[in-house]
Amino acid sequence: MTALPETEAEPEPGATASGPPRGRRTIIILVAAVVAVAAALAVWTQRSGKPAAEGPEAGFARDMSVHHAQAVEMSFIVRDRTQDKPVRLLAYDIINTQRAQIGMMTAWLDGWGLPKADPAGPMRWMGHGGHGGTSLPADGSMPGMATPAQLAELGRASGRQAETLYLRLMIAHHRGGVSMAEAVLGRTGNAQVTRLARTMVEGQQAEITLMERMLGERGAPAV
Amino acid sequence: MSENARPNAPKNTPNKGKPAAGKATAAKSAAAKPASGKSGGKKPPQRKNALTERQTPWGTIAFFTVIGLVAAVAIGFAFTQARSSADGAKIAGLVSKEETNRDHVQTSVKYDSTPPMGGAHDPLWQNCGVYTSALRNENAVHALEHGAVWITYRPDLPKDQVVKLSAKVGATAYTLLSPYPGLDTPVALSAWGKQLKVQSANDKRVDEFLRAFVQGPQTQEPGAACTGGKATP
Repeated sequence: MTALPETEAEPEPGATASGPPRGRRTIIILVAAVVAVAAALAVWTQRSGKPAAEGPEAGFARDMSVHHAQAVEMSFIVRDRTQDKPVRLLAYDIINTQRAQIGMMTAWLDGWGLPKADPAGPMRWMGHGGHGGTSLPADGSMPGMATPAQLAELGRASGRQAETLYLRLMIAHHRGGVSMAEAVLGRTGNAQVTRLARTMVEGQQAEITLMERMLGERGAPAV
Repeated sequence: MSENARPNAPKNTPNKGKPAAGKATAAKSAAAKPASGKSGGKKPPQRKNALTERQTPWGTIAFFTVIGLVAAVAIGFAFTQARSSADGAKIAGLVSKEETNRDHVQTSVKYDSTPPMGGAHDPLWQNCGVYTSALRNENAVHALEHGAVWITYRPDLPKDQVVKLSAKVGATAYTLLSPYPGLDTPVALSAWGKQLKVQSANDKRVDEFLRAFVQGPQTQEPGAACTGGKATP
Protein backbone atom coordinates (compact mmCIF):
# COMPACT_ATOMS: atom_id res chain seq x y z
CA MET A 1 0.00 0.00 0.00
CA THR A 2 3.00 2.28 0.27
CA ALA A 3 3.21 2.14 -3.48
CA LEU A 4 -0.29 3.54 -3.96
CA PRO A 5 0.46 7.23 -3.28
CA GLU A 6 3.27 6.95 -5.80
CA THR A 7 1.12 5.46 -8.53
CA GLU A 8 -1.49 8.12 -8.01
CA ALA A 9 1.07 10.88 -8.14
CA GLU A 10 3.13 9.60 -11.04
CA PRO A 11 0.65 8.74 -13.79
CA GLU A 12 -0.79 12.26 -13.77
CA PRO A 13 2.25 13.93 -15.41
CA GLY A 14 2.95 10.59 -17.11
CA ALA A 15 -0.40 10.65 -18.88
CA THR A 16 0.25 14.02 -20.48
CA ALA A 17 3.82 13.06 -21.40
CA SER A 18 2.93 9.75 -23.06
CA GLY A 19 0.01 11.07 -25.16
CA PRO A 20 0.34 14.12 -27.47
CA PRO A 21 4.07 14.89 -26.82
CA ARG A 22 4.96 11.57 -28.42
CA GLY A 23 3.52 12.77 -31.74
CA ARG A 24 5.18 16.11 -31.33
CA ARG A 25 8.53 14.47 -30.72
CA THR A 26 8.11 12.35 -33.84
CA ILE A 27 7.36 15.46 -35.88
CA ILE A 28 10.48 17.14 -34.52
CA ILE A 29 12.58 14.09 -35.44
CA LEU A 30 10.94 14.02 -38.85
CA VAL A 31 11.65 17.69 -39.56
CA ALA A 32 15.23 17.23 -38.37
CA ALA A 33 15.63 14.24 -40.71
CA VAL A 34 14.29 16.20 -43.69
CA VAL A 35 16.56 19.15 -42.94
CA ALA A 36 19.53 16.80 -42.64
CA VAL A 37 18.70 15.13 -45.95
CA ALA A 38 18.26 18.49 -47.72
CA ALA A 39 21.54 19.78 -46.29
CA ALA A 40 23.36 16.59 -47.30
CA LEU A 41 21.94 16.90 -50.83
CA ALA A 42 23.00 20.53 -51.06
CA VAL A 43 26.52 19.72 -49.92
CA TRP A 44 26.66 16.76 -52.27
CA THR A 45 25.63 18.81 -55.31
CA GLN A 46 28.17 21.48 -54.35
CA ARG A 47 31.06 19.07 -54.06
CA SER A 48 30.28 16.15 -56.31
CA GLY A 49 31.12 17.89 -59.57
CA LYS A 50 27.77 18.92 -60.95
CA PRO A 51 28.17 22.70 -60.95
CA ALA A 52 25.35 25.03 -61.91
CA ALA A 53 24.98 26.70 -65.31
CA GLU A 54 25.47 30.11 -63.73
CA GLY A 55 28.09 29.04 -61.18
CA PRO A 56 31.77 30.05 -61.03
CA GLU A 57 33.03 26.71 -62.39
CA ALA A 58 30.96 26.87 -65.59
CA GLY A 59 31.56 30.62 -66.00
CA PHE A 60 35.29 30.12 -65.61
CA ALA A 61 35.34 27.20 -68.09
CA ARG A 62 33.49 29.25 -70.72
CA ASP A 63 35.36 32.53 -70.25
CA MET A 64 38.82 31.04 -69.84
CA SER A 65 38.26 29.06 -73.06
CA VAL A 66 37.63 32.31 -74.93
CA HIS A 67 40.60 33.95 -73.20
CA HIS A 68 42.90 31.03 -74.08
CA ALA A 69 41.66 31.00 -77.69
CA GLN A 70 42.93 34.54 -78.17
CA ALA A 71 46.36 33.61 -76.78
CA VAL A 72 46.47 30.75 -79.29
CA GLU A 73 45.45 33.10 -82.10
CA MET A 74 48.13 35.69 -81.21
CA SER A 75 50.76 32.96 -80.97
CA PHE A 76 49.92 31.65 -84.44
CA ILE A 77 50.14 35.18 -85.81
CA VAL A 78 53.59 35.86 -84.34
CA ARG A 79 54.93 32.57 -85.65
CA ASP A 80 53.98 33.82 -89.12
CA ARG A 81 55.59 37.22 -88.51
CA THR A 82 59.06 36.36 -87.19
CA GLN A 83 61.85 33.81 -87.57
CA ASP A 84 63.19 34.47 -84.06
CA LYS A 85 63.63 31.03 -82.45
CA PRO A 86 62.96 31.87 -78.75
CA VAL A 87 59.75 33.78 -79.59
CA ARG A 88 58.56 31.06 -81.98
CA LEU A 89 59.28 28.42 -79.32
CA LEU A 90 57.36 30.37 -76.66
CA ALA A 91 54.43 30.78 -79.08
CA TYR A 92 54.53 27.05 -79.89
CA ASP A 93 54.41 26.26 -76.16
CA ILE A 94 51.49 28.62 -75.52
CA ILE A 95 49.53 27.24 -78.51
CA ASN A 96 49.82 23.65 -77.33
CA THR A 97 49.26 24.29 -73.62
CA GLN A 98 46.32 26.62 -73.93
CA ARG A 99 44.66 24.70 -76.77
CA ALA A 100 44.81 21.51 -74.68
CA GLN A 101 43.43 23.35 -71.66
CA ILE A 102 40.52 24.61 -73.78
CA GLY A 103 39.81 20.96 -74.52
CA MET A 104 39.83 20.10 -70.81
CA MET A 105 37.45 22.93 -69.93
CA THR A 106 35.15 22.04 -72.83
CA ALA A 107 35.08 18.46 -71.58
CA TRP A 108 34.04 19.68 -68.12
CA LEU A 109 31.07 21.53 -69.61
CA ASP A 110 30.19 18.46 -71.68
CA GLY A 111 30.38 16.26 -68.59
CA TRP A 112 28.29 18.67 -66.56
CA GLY A 113 25.74 18.91 -69.38
CA LEU A 114 26.01 22.70 -69.36
CA PRO A 115 25.95 25.22 -72.23
CA LYS A 116 29.22 26.30 -73.84
CA ALA A 117 27.87 29.80 -74.34
CA ASP A 118 26.23 32.31 -72.05
CA PRO A 119 24.27 34.83 -74.15
CA ALA A 120 23.87 36.97 -71.02
CA GLY A 121 27.53 37.89 -71.39
CA PRO A 122 30.94 36.94 -70.01
CA MET A 123 32.47 37.43 -66.58
CA ARG A 124 29.22 37.43 -64.60
CA TRP A 125 30.59 34.67 -62.36
CA MET A 126 33.38 36.99 -61.18
CA GLY A 127 31.06 39.87 -60.36
CA HIS A 128 31.92 43.45 -61.10
CA GLY A 129 33.90 45.62 -58.75
CA GLY A 130 36.87 43.28 -58.67
CA HIS A 131 38.21 40.56 -56.44
CA GLY A 132 41.55 40.34 -54.71
CA GLY A 133 42.70 43.70 -56.02
CA THR A 134 41.69 42.92 -59.60
CA SER A 135 39.40 45.38 -61.26
CA LEU A 136 37.39 44.17 -64.21
CA PRO A 137 37.05 46.14 -67.42
CA ALA A 138 33.94 48.30 -67.16
CA ASP A 139 32.45 46.95 -70.40
CA GLY A 140 32.19 43.43 -68.96
CA SER A 141 34.93 42.07 -71.21
CA MET A 142 37.68 39.84 -69.91
CA PRO A 143 40.86 41.25 -68.36
CA GLY A 144 43.96 41.27 -70.52
CA MET A 145 42.24 40.65 -73.85
CA ALA A 146 43.79 42.35 -76.89
CA THR A 147 41.52 44.54 -79.01
CA PRO A 148 40.79 43.65 -82.64
CA ALA A 149 42.92 46.67 -83.62
CA GLN A 150 45.88 45.30 -81.63
CA LEU A 151 45.50 41.89 -83.29
CA ALA A 152 45.44 43.55 -86.70
CA GLU A 153 48.57 45.55 -85.79
CA LEU A 154 50.35 42.34 -84.80
CA GLY A 155 49.35 40.80 -88.11
CA ARG A 156 50.96 43.70 -90.01
CA ALA A 157 54.13 43.92 -87.91
CA SER A 158 57.20 41.82 -88.65
CA GLY A 159 60.57 40.85 -87.17
CA ARG A 160 61.64 42.54 -83.94
CA GLN A 161 58.57 44.83 -83.96
CA ALA A 162 56.21 41.83 -84.11
CA GLU A 163 58.17 40.07 -81.34
CA THR A 164 58.03 42.97 -78.88
CA LEU A 165 54.38 43.72 -79.63
CA TYR A 166 53.54 40.05 -79.11
CA LEU A 167 55.45 39.94 -75.81
CA ARG A 168 53.75 43.10 -74.53
CA LEU A 169 50.28 41.88 -75.50
CA MET A 170 50.92 38.42 -74.07
CA ILE A 171 52.23 39.76 -70.73
CA ALA A 172 48.99 41.75 -70.32
CA HIS A 173 46.99 38.72 -71.49
CA HIS A 174 48.67 36.40 -68.98
CA ARG A 175 48.16 38.90 -66.13
CA GLY A 176 44.46 38.96 -66.92
CA GLY A 177 44.40 35.18 -67.12
CA VAL A 178 46.12 34.83 -63.75
CA SER A 179 43.55 37.15 -62.15
CA MET A 180 40.70 35.07 -63.57
CA ALA A 181 42.28 31.81 -62.37
CA GLU A 182 42.82 33.33 -58.91
CA ALA A 183 39.20 34.47 -58.88
CA VAL A 184 37.87 30.96 -59.48
CA LEU A 185 40.21 29.54 -56.84
CA GLY A 186 38.48 31.79 -54.32
CA ARG A 187 35.04 30.64 -55.45
CA THR A 188 35.14 26.87 -55.92
CA GLY A 189 35.98 23.72 -54.04
CA ASN A 190 35.80 21.59 -57.19
CA ALA A 191 39.02 19.57 -57.33
CA GLN A 192 39.31 19.45 -61.16
CA VAL A 193 38.81 23.20 -61.50
CA THR A 194 41.13 24.00 -58.60
CA ARG A 195 43.91 21.84 -60.00
CA LEU A 196 43.85 23.38 -63.50
CA ALA A 197 43.40 26.94 -62.22
CA ARG A 198 46.38 26.54 -59.90
CA THR A 199 48.62 25.36 -62.76
CA MET A 200 47.44 28.35 -64.81
CA VAL A 201 48.40 30.79 -62.04
CA GLU A 202 51.84 29.24 -61.58
CA GLY A 203 52.58 28.52 -65.25
CA GLN A 204 51.50 31.90 -66.55
CA GLN A 205 53.30 33.79 -63.79
CA ALA A 206 56.52 32.00 -64.72
CA GLU A 207 55.94 32.89 -68.38
CA ILE A 208 55.35 36.55 -67.49
CA THR A 209 58.82 36.61 -65.87
CA LEU A 210 60.28 34.93 -68.96
CA MET A 211 58.57 37.37 -71.34
CA GLU A 212 59.72 40.41 -69.33
CA ARG A 213 63.28 39.15 -69.66
CA MET A 214 62.80 38.56 -73.40
CA LEU A 215 61.50 42.11 -73.81
CA GLY A 216 64.66 43.43 -72.09
CA GLU A 217 66.87 41.30 -74.33
CA ARG A 218 65.19 42.97 -77.32
CA GLY A 219 65.84 46.45 -75.97
CA ALA A 220 62.14 47.09 -75.33
CA PRO A 221 60.84 48.73 -72.14
CA ALA A 222 59.14 46.57 -69.55
CA VAL A 223 55.35 46.60 -69.20
CA MET B 1 -4.25 -7.47 -17.96
CA SER B 2 -3.57 -5.74 -21.23
CA GLU B 3 -7.21 -6.31 -22.13
CA ASN B 4 -8.13 -4.27 -19.13
CA ALA B 5 -5.61 -1.52 -19.67
CA ARG B 6 -6.34 -0.95 -23.35
CA PRO B 7 -9.73 0.75 -23.03
CA ASN B 8 -8.19 3.17 -20.57
CA ALA B 9 -5.58 4.57 -22.86
CA PRO B 10 -7.87 6.32 -25.37
CA LYS B 11 -9.75 7.85 -22.50
CA ASN B 12 -6.51 9.27 -21.20
CA THR B 13 -5.21 10.82 -24.38
CA PRO B 14 -7.93 13.36 -25.11
CA ASN B 15 -8.39 14.24 -21.45
CA LYS B 16 -6.25 17.22 -20.70
CA GLY B 17 -8.24 18.50 -17.72
CA LYS B 18 -6.67 17.40 -14.49
CA PRO B 19 -9.76 16.25 -12.61
CA ALA B 20 -10.77 13.89 -15.44
CA ALA B 21 -7.25 12.55 -15.86
CA GLY B 22 -7.01 11.97 -12.18
CA LYS B 23 -10.17 9.91 -12.20
CA ALA B 24 -9.04 7.78 -15.13
CA THR B 25 -5.59 7.08 -13.76
CA ALA B 26 -6.99 6.21 -10.40
CA ALA B 27 -9.25 3.62 -11.99
CA LYS B 28 -6.39 2.32 -14.05
CA SER B 29 -3.83 1.94 -11.34
CA ALA B 30 -6.42 0.01 -9.39
CA ALA B 31 -6.85 -2.41 -12.26
CA ALA B 32 -3.16 -2.76 -12.92
CA LYS B 33 -1.99 -3.19 -9.36
CA PRO B 34 -2.89 -6.80 -8.61
CA ALA B 35 -0.78 -8.11 -11.52
CA SER B 36 2.32 -5.99 -11.07
CA GLY B 37 2.19 -5.56 -7.36
CA LYS B 38 5.90 -6.18 -6.70
CA SER B 39 7.49 -3.63 -9.00
CA GLY B 40 5.34 -0.83 -7.65
CA GLY B 41 3.98 2.25 -9.42
CA LYS B 42 6.71 2.85 -12.01
CA LYS B 43 5.39 0.31 -14.49
CA PRO B 44 1.98 1.62 -15.60
CA PRO B 45 3.20 4.75 -17.44
CA GLN B 46 5.73 2.63 -19.36
CA ARG B 47 3.12 0.15 -20.36
CA LYS B 48 0.91 2.96 -21.57
CA ASN B 49 3.74 4.14 -23.82
CA ALA B 50 4.08 0.76 -25.43
CA LEU B 51 0.36 0.62 -26.05
CA THR B 52 0.03 4.04 -27.66
CA GLU B 53 2.91 3.11 -29.94
CA ARG B 54 1.01 0.09 -31.12
CA GLN B 55 -2.10 2.14 -31.77
CA THR B 56 -0.49 4.90 -33.87
CA PRO B 57 2.45 3.62 -35.98
CA TRP B 58 4.52 6.79 -35.70
CA GLY B 59 7.67 4.99 -36.75
CA THR B 60 6.12 3.78 -39.98
CA ILE B 61 4.60 7.20 -40.69
CA ALA B 62 7.94 8.90 -40.11
CA PHE B 63 9.74 6.35 -42.27
CA PHE B 64 7.48 6.77 -45.29
CA THR B 65 7.28 10.55 -44.89
CA VAL B 66 11.07 10.83 -44.98
CA ILE B 67 11.24 8.49 -47.99
CA GLY B 68 8.56 10.54 -49.74
CA LEU B 69 10.28 13.85 -49.03
CA VAL B 70 13.65 12.55 -50.18
CA ALA B 71 12.04 11.38 -53.41
CA ALA B 72 10.32 14.75 -53.90
CA VAL B 73 13.56 16.65 -53.32
CA ALA B 74 15.46 14.34 -55.68
CA ILE B 75 12.88 14.68 -58.45
CA GLY B 76 12.76 18.44 -58.00
CA PHE B 77 16.53 18.61 -58.15
CA ALA B 78 16.71 16.47 -61.29
CA PHE B 79 14.08 18.69 -62.91
CA THR B 80 16.07 21.85 -62.12
CA GLN B 81 19.22 20.28 -63.54
CA ALA B 82 17.44 19.26 -66.73
CA ARG B 83 16.09 22.77 -67.17
CA SER B 84 19.49 24.40 -66.86
CA SER B 85 21.21 21.94 -69.16
CA ALA B 86 21.89 22.47 -72.83
CA ASP B 87 18.85 20.72 -74.23
CA GLY B 88 17.72 22.29 -77.48
CA ALA B 89 15.16 19.65 -78.42
CA LYS B 90 12.38 21.48 -76.58
CA ILE B 91 12.74 24.80 -78.45
CA ALA B 92 9.40 25.51 -80.17
CA GLY B 93 9.69 25.81 -83.94
CA LEU B 94 13.16 24.24 -84.14
CA VAL B 95 13.88 22.63 -87.51
CA SER B 96 16.31 19.70 -87.52
CA LYS B 97 17.77 18.18 -90.63
CA GLU B 98 20.31 15.43 -91.25
CA GLU B 99 23.28 17.08 -92.99
CA THR B 100 25.68 14.40 -94.15
CA ASN B 101 27.64 16.13 -96.90
CA ARG B 102 30.81 17.67 -95.48
CA ASP B 103 32.80 17.94 -98.72
CA HIS B 104 35.23 20.81 -99.23
CA VAL B 105 34.55 22.46 -102.57
CA GLN B 106 35.93 25.58 -104.27
CA THR B 107 32.81 26.06 -106.39
CA SER B 108 29.52 27.61 -105.35
CA VAL B 109 27.00 25.25 -103.75
CA LYS B 110 23.25 25.09 -104.22
CA TYR B 111 21.81 24.66 -100.73
CA ASP B 112 18.27 23.41 -100.15
CA SER B 113 17.50 25.64 -97.19
CA THR B 114 17.73 29.42 -96.78
CA PRO B 115 20.00 30.24 -95.07
CA PRO B 116 21.92 26.97 -95.42
CA MET B 117 22.28 24.84 -92.28
CA GLY B 118 24.94 22.39 -93.46
CA GLY B 119 26.30 20.64 -96.53
CA ALA B 120 29.36 20.92 -98.78
CA HIS B 121 31.42 24.04 -98.12
CA ASP B 122 34.50 26.11 -98.89
CA PRO B 123 37.84 24.94 -97.42
CA LEU B 124 38.15 28.33 -95.69
CA TRP B 125 35.82 28.87 -92.75
CA GLN B 126 34.30 32.25 -91.96
CA ASN B 127 35.67 33.78 -88.75
CA CYS B 128 33.16 34.36 -85.99
CA GLY B 129 32.08 37.93 -85.28
CA VAL B 130 29.78 40.72 -86.42
CA TYR B 131 29.48 41.49 -90.15
CA THR B 132 27.44 44.31 -91.63
CA SER B 133 27.24 42.90 -95.15
CA ALA B 134 26.14 39.51 -96.45
CA LEU B 135 28.51 36.54 -96.17
CA ARG B 136 29.26 33.86 -98.72
CA ASN B 137 27.18 30.78 -97.80
CA GLU B 138 30.03 28.36 -98.53
CA ASN B 139 32.34 29.96 -95.93
CA ALA B 140 29.64 30.41 -93.29
CA VAL B 141 28.60 26.75 -93.56
CA HIS B 142 32.18 25.76 -92.75
CA ALA B 143 31.90 27.78 -89.50
CA LEU B 144 28.72 25.84 -88.67
CA GLU B 145 30.71 22.64 -89.07
CA HIS B 146 33.09 23.98 -86.39
CA GLY B 147 30.23 24.45 -83.91
CA ALA B 148 29.31 28.08 -84.61
CA VAL B 149 25.80 29.54 -84.64
CA TRP B 150 25.14 31.88 -87.56
CA ILE B 151 22.55 34.58 -86.85
CA THR B 152 21.15 36.15 -89.99
CA TYR B 153 18.66 38.99 -90.30
CA ARG B 154 16.58 40.53 -93.05
CA PRO B 155 18.16 43.87 -94.03
CA ASP B 156 14.97 45.71 -92.98
CA LEU B 157 15.28 44.55 -89.34
CA PRO B 158 14.81 47.58 -87.02
CA LYS B 159 18.11 49.18 -86.08
CA ASP B 160 17.69 48.63 -82.32
CA GLN B 161 17.34 44.89 -82.91
CA VAL B 162 20.48 44.83 -85.07
CA VAL B 163 22.33 46.63 -82.27
CA LYS B 164 21.04 44.10 -79.74
CA LEU B 165 22.12 41.13 -81.87
CA SER B 166 25.53 42.73 -82.52
CA ALA B 167 26.16 43.12 -78.78
CA LYS B 168 25.12 39.52 -78.18
CA VAL B 169 27.33 38.10 -80.93
CA GLY B 170 30.23 40.35 -79.91
CA ALA B 171 30.11 38.93 -76.38
CA THR B 172 29.44 35.28 -77.27
CA ALA B 173 32.20 33.09 -78.70
CA TYR B 174 31.43 30.88 -81.70
CA THR B 175 28.69 33.09 -83.13
CA LEU B 176 28.43 35.08 -86.38
CA LEU B 177 26.00 37.80 -87.39
CA SER B 178 25.26 39.01 -90.88
CA PRO B 179 22.40 40.47 -92.92
CA TYR B 180 20.79 38.03 -95.34
CA PRO B 181 18.85 39.59 -98.23
CA GLY B 182 15.72 37.66 -99.16
CA LEU B 183 15.31 35.99 -95.75
CA ASP B 184 11.68 34.91 -95.21
CA THR B 185 11.61 35.96 -91.51
CA PRO B 186 13.20 38.95 -89.75
CA VAL B 187 15.74 36.74 -87.93
CA ALA B 188 17.04 33.20 -88.48
CA LEU B 189 19.48 31.20 -86.35
CA SER B 190 21.40 28.35 -87.93
CA ALA B 191 23.69 25.67 -86.56
CA TRP B 192 24.80 22.48 -88.35
CA GLY B 193 21.50 20.69 -89.08
CA LYS B 194 19.52 23.02 -86.77
CA GLN B 195 17.52 26.12 -87.60
CA LEU B 196 15.08 28.46 -85.88
CA LYS B 197 13.26 31.36 -87.52
CA VAL B 198 11.86 34.10 -85.29
CA GLN B 199 10.00 37.36 -85.84
CA SER B 200 12.12 39.45 -83.48
CA ALA B 201 15.60 39.63 -81.98
CA ASN B 202 13.87 39.92 -78.61
CA ASP B 203 12.38 36.41 -78.85
CA LYS B 204 13.61 34.48 -75.80
CA ARG B 205 14.26 31.45 -77.99
CA VAL B 206 17.32 33.28 -79.39
CA ASP B 207 19.17 32.73 -76.11
CA GLU B 208 17.79 29.20 -75.79
CA PHE B 209 19.14 28.37 -79.26
CA LEU B 210 22.57 29.82 -78.41
CA ARG B 211 22.77 27.91 -75.11
CA ALA B 212 21.83 24.69 -76.85
CA PHE B 213 23.86 24.87 -80.06
CA VAL B 214 26.95 27.08 -79.65
CA GLN B 215 29.56 24.28 -79.79
CA GLY B 216 26.58 22.02 -79.09
CA PRO B 217 26.12 18.30 -79.70
CA GLN B 218 25.54 18.90 -83.43
CA THR B 219 29.13 20.17 -83.82
CA GLN B 220 30.92 18.17 -86.53
CA GLU B 221 34.47 19.09 -85.47
CA PRO B 222 34.53 19.70 -81.71
CA GLY B 223 37.46 21.92 -80.77
CA ALA B 224 37.88 23.41 -84.24
CA ALA B 225 38.57 27.14 -84.38
CA CYS B 226 36.30 30.01 -85.30
CA THR B 227 39.27 32.32 -85.90
CA GLY B 228 42.16 32.17 -88.33
CA GLY B 229 39.85 31.71 -91.34
CA LYS B 230 38.16 34.24 -93.58
CA ALA B 231 37.96 37.61 -91.80
CA THR B 232 36.01 39.62 -94.37
CA PRO B 233 32.57 39.05 -95.98
